[in-house]
Amino acid sequence: MVKDVPCMRLVIDENRCKGCNLCVLVCPYKIFREGKKPNRKGIVVPELDRPERCPNCRLRQLYGRTICGLCQLICPDQAIDWIGEEPYEHMKVAIEY
Amino acid sequence: MNFLEWYRVDRLPSIFCAGCGIGTVINCTLSAVTSMGWRRNDVVFLSGIGCSSRAPGYIRTDSLHTTHGRALAFATGVKLAEPRLNVILFTGDGDLAAIGGNHFIHACRRNIDLTVVCVNNYIYGMTGGQGSPTTPVGARSSTTPYGSTETPFDLSELAMAAGANYVSRWTPYHTKELTAAVKAGLETPGLSFIEVMTQCPTGYGRANRLRDVKEFMEIFRMRSMLKQKADRLLKEGKPVPPDAIVIGEFVRRSRPVMGRRG
Ligand SMILES: Cc1ncc(C[n+]2csc(CCOP(=O)(O)OP(=O)(O)O)c2C)c(N)n1
Ligand code: SF4
Ligand code: SF4
Ligand code: SF4
Repeated sequence: MVKDVPCMRLVIDENRCKGCNLCVLVCPYKIFREGKKPNRKGIVVPELDRPERCPNCRLRQLYGRTICGLCQLICPDQAIDWIGEEPYEHMKVAIEY
Repeated sequence: MNFLEWYRVDRLPSIFCAGCGIGTVINCTLSAVTSMGWRRNDVVFLSGIGCSSRAPGYIRTDSLHTTHGRALAFATGVKLAEPRLNVILFTGDGDLAAIGGNHFIHACRRNIDLTVVCVNNYIYGMTGGQGSPTTPVGARSSTTPYGSTETPFDLSELAMAAGANYVSRWTPYHTKELTAAVKAGLETPGLSFIEVMTQCPTGYGRANRLRDVKEFMEIFRMRSMLKQKADRLLKEGKPVPPDAIVIGEFVRRSRPVMGRRG
């Protein structure tokens, strides 16, 4: 079952992000939230709210393609990507429909 | 393959201002190129001068960053010398319609097999937000401080009238549609023109109380009207609101093409 499929983790590259919050605008799951504190470059990078809800985190590897991907496509600074991670304990992931 | 793999990561972050739409336009274009299954050696990017014309510098393919307004002339040369190459141009409204206006209409007339992605941000971004041939009536810019009084160009209409084989218009808010439009342009022989109405929060935005990118996007969301709806309104004898941004595919046809073998 889902358990053996490698999961992915949604990350924002703090070096590239310019804090425009376009990702906040488009994510249907409201995973991005406007940040509060400026980072060392003075940029307020958005916060992630339970990013494991993003369908890509669970299904990108399984399906072999990007699912949704709106945030990545609109991010003008190429700051959003998914990186490999240990499988989630899938029972803990609340799937929202 | 993911579109991010086309980027020259050593050059990121880009020089574009926070929230500038040019990055989104590059993403969508590269996403379309990815879906064509092309490799690095199959594609060449060209551009003139302007913020939008910096785009090819971030892409890991051969590219030409040429002189202001003249990218189409260079592209014609590239295409005729090596018809195998898929030639894509990034240009701005100033680059394409002001200094490069004549190159533009004649490239459309000749219907050279190129794909032109125009970032129409209503002003000259790079040089400090001066008015361009697409600045809307009433809009402020550094050369129209009391609001522009000139009638702007409709670049898509211009491309259609001049003879381009494929013409569509979208905004960076419509990422999926824009990607599909660029792909359709890449697939259509002849000149394909994709106009992207784009936010420039620094130049246009600051002068027109649209410094906040989210407000700018809200305009793209609220004022965009699909071509089908605009056509229907006209057919019913009702007016299309003057501030509507009509989006969609305007034309896809097969006039004779220059720059294709066989
Ligand atoms: C021959 C010549 N004339 C003028 C300029 C100055 N110039 C540089 S960029 C630019 C306008 C660019 O505007 P646009 O094409 O709309 O691109 P944007 O920066 O808005 O993306 C101008 C006039 C130049 N570089 N070369
Ligand atoms: S891919 Fe879609 S669902 Fe996942 S974070 Fe991005 S916008 Fe949200
Ligand atoms: S869209 Fe990209 S650059 Fe803008 S805030 Fe989100 S991650 Fe940062
Ligand atoms: S000046 Fe305008 S077009 Fe140029 S990078 Fe800044 S926001 Fe983008």
